[in-house]
Order: sequence, then C-alpha cells, then structure tokens
Amino acid sequence: MSAKEELLKRLSDGVVDMEEDDVAEAAQEYLDAGYPAFDGIMEGLVDGMNRAGQLYEEEEYFVTDVLLCSDAMYAGLEILRPYLPEAEGKAKHKGVIGVVEGDTHDIGKNLVKIMLETAGFHMIDLGRDVPLRKFVDTAREEGAEFICMSTLMTTTMGGMQDVIRILEEEGMRQQMKVMIGGGPVSQKYADKIGADGYSQNAVEAVKLAKKLLNIA
Amino acid sequence: MSEIKDFNCTYDNSAGIHADVTKELGLTFPDAYLHGDTMAALSKALRRHDGAAFCELPFCHTVEAEAMGGIINYGNEKAGPRAKEYICTSVEELLELPEIDFTMGRIQEVLKACEILRGQNEQVVLQVSGPFTILNVLIDAKYVFKAMRKKPELMKEVFRKLGKEVLRFMEEAKKRGVGLLSYADSPGGVNILGPKMAEQVVENFTYPFLKKAELLADGDMILLCPKTAFALLGTGKAELRDIELQEPMPYGEACIRMKGRAKLAGQMCIKNVGYCLENRIFKEVVLR
Repeated sequence: MSAKEELLKRLSDGVVDMEEDDVAEAAQEYLDAGYPAFDGIMEGLVDGMNRAGQLYEEEEYFVTDVLLCSDAMYAGLEILRPYLPEAEGKAKHKGVIGVVEGDTHDIGKNLVKIMLETAGFHMIDLGRDVPLRKFVDTAREEGAEFICMSTLMTTTMGGMQDVIRILEEEGMRQQMKVMIGGGPVSQKYADKIGADGYSQNAVEAVKLAKKLLNIA
Repeated sequence: MSEIKDFNCTYDNSAGIHADVTKELGLTFPDAYLHGDTMAALSKALRRHDGAAFCELPFCHTVEAEAMGGIINYGNEKAGPRAKEYICTSVEELLELPEIDFTMGRIQEVLKACEILRGQNEQVVLQVSGPFTILNVLIDAKYVFKAMRKKPELMKEVFRKLGKEVLRFMEEAKKRGVGLLSYADSPGGVNILGPKMAEQVVENFTYPFLKKAELLADGDMILLCPKTAFALLGTGKAELRDIELQEPMPYGEACIRMKGRAKLAGQMCIKNVGYCLENRIFKEVVLR
C-alpha cells in the first residue's frame, strides 16, 4: 500500500470509527504530504461515510453512530476543503431540507442531510422549526429541485401538506419534488398529502432523491 | 434476552389544539399556554371535544426544560410551545443547571391547572418528559450522543440529575391530586438510539428511575409510553401481567379503573383515546 493509500485508509477508517481527532490529524498529514484534497475527500472521508451508511443499512450502525461518523467526516472536510481547486465540476443537484414548523426534533433530518451531501447533493439546511413558507421561498431563491421535510410529531405533520399547497399556489409544484420523513410519517401519509415520496431512513432518502431526480 | 421492539407513533386524535375548541373559549395564544386557569379551561374543552376519559396537561414537552433554564418559543394555536435555542454546548454545563423551582414560572401554572381540574373532579393525566426530551430543548443531541460514547460516567450524572427533577415534578403533581402520571421520552427510542445504546439507557436510567417512580403509584398509576414499555420488556427489566376487565372499554378508561390495582401501564399510547381494549385484557407492566 502506498503512503497516499495508507492515509486515505486512515481517513476512511477514522470516519467509520468516529474518531474525529484522528481524522483531523490524518487530513493534515495528507495535505502536508502534498496529496490532492479532492481525492482525500472522495476516497477518504466520503468513502468512510459511505461505509458508515452501509453499516447503517445493515443495522450494524444506528442513527447516533452515523451522526458521530459525520462529525469525524466534517472535521476532515474542514481541513481539506480550503485546498480544493477553484474549478468546479458539473453543478450539484440542489435541495432544501428542514424540520417543519412547530417541531424541533432534528436528529433524523441531520442524518438525511449528511447522507445526501455525502452522495453529492448540495443541501440547504433550514434547521428545525422552519416556517412553512420558508421552504418554498428558499427553494425558489436557490433554484432547488427538491424539498425534504421531516417531523417527529403528529401535531406538526399537517405542515407538510401546507408546503405542498403553497407550492401549488405559487405555480412551483410541477418543478419541485417533495420528499417527507420522520417518526409518524408513512408512505400512506405521503400519498394522502400528495408528496412525491417518503423514505423510512437516510439511506433510503438518498435512493429516493436519485430516483425522483432521475440520477443514475 | 429478547430485543427491544419499537412502537410507531401513528395516533391521530387528541394531539394538537383544535381551532373550533379554542374559538368557543375565547382564548388567545400563546397566552392560553401560560396560565393555570386558561390551561385548565383548554384542557377540559379538549377532553370534551375528544370524548376522552381524562384531561391532559401540559400541551407541550418543554415545561421541565424551561424550568431548568431552557429558552422556549411559546408558539400559537396551531403549534404549541417548543424549544427556541440551545443554552448548553457541553454536557458539563448541563450539570450546572439549576434545580426546578415549582413556585414560579410555567411549571407552577401547570401544577395550578392540575389543581383546578382536580377541584372540578376531572381525571388528570400529567405528561412528564424523560431525559432525551428535556435535553432536546437544552443542548444539541450530537453532544449528548458523543458524551454517551466518550464520557459515559458524566452522562450517568446528567441522567441522574434530570431523573431527580422529573421525580420531583411527579411528586408535586401527586400532591395536587394528579392520579395519572404519564411518562414518555420518544426522542430516546430504540429507532434513534439503536439497540445497544437503548439498552444502556434502560440500565443506567429508565429502570432505576421507574423503580423510584413506581413508589408514587400507590393508589395512582404511572402510564408509560409504549416505547418505554417495550424497552423495559426487551431488556428483561419488566414483564406483563394480564388483568381482566369486566367489559371492553377505552384504554384511558381502563387506566382510571385500574388505579390502585396496577402501578404501571404501557400497552398503548395514552393519546390514542379511541383505542379500545376489546379483549378486556389490561396489561400491567411489572418491573423486576
């Protein structure tokens, strides 16, 4: 294994093992050795996050584990990202994500955001307790292609339908895919309110987003 | 040991505030969430609207956290009180938070509302929150999960502190005649924590906490969220004991009738007011 490969493995393993400090240290060593930041991110950090996602899918890892993996990934990203070349590749698919107004439980939303970002989407995170109109306004301003909403509370589920209604009123529904999720949410509820899709977990959310946007 | 099953929160009934109910009462929001008399009036009106056997209080899960210093957005008639911004950025800071003073603030008003309703011969279910629900108001969950993995002893202290405050709240409610104390902590469910961490929480917190809480159930009852009941059953910390009812009845009604006979219940979400025990079997959760 070459020195570069060894460092990439350390980055990837550090993410899987949730070792934030180790990842930051390996990222710095990787840069100091003169290797390209892009490879460090994609073949090290993102590779580790994908492995964590796989473990999550296999029910080896759970929400809390993946969140800690993502902390390690972001620790590495903070070091490597400033060294990415200016020139961008093709534009990323853009989505808006948030927890609907009235609810502040954002663990699931954070996880979906992380997995979508890891899969290459550009996610605009509106946070928790997001005013419903803000989903639509931000999606318009940012030229997003999809909106992701979540809630853990039955009392705030209705907000998702309101966002869809606002999209319709503003003539944006045809261009905007709407994905929903969260504890009490189901495919049945998605069908009822006219959302484009429901996903039970973060890994499924990535598959759903790709399917809705026709991404291979 | 069997595994911890999850319970899906899919009820669709008394959760939330109905516009037609609030209109009749002439209440304004969020003011109605802040005073004992308006809370009592609203709770009673919702009980009537839902055809429930009991009144529920409060209308959110932020009361305990607010009483410990949390910052709350009181909301409106559509969406009730919820966390505004976090006040802690480390679990160490959680240990510095003050004990709850039950003679001031919204928590005092909740207790006052309990007293008013009991004075009107209403059955009251007081919903108290578990540690993850309280922490959700005070600190970003990522710090909690990280500390559970890296600083487990410190987190035990945090849980112990929060458990003590919740127990004190339950005791205060009992003093005011509340006979049904409902305990839930859905952000700490197995679907979020995973089986390993969920088991750790039962071992370090839920089980010892409920061993103390059940002492409050003499003549009264502790209603467990089914997520909590499943966590206890799945870790072998509790078992179910069937008690036969004389006739089929709604779960809430059965809980009222079983006060004094069963200490802990947990076969259904208490918010599912329409749920009927058709088979006449009430399941007591018995701690080992």
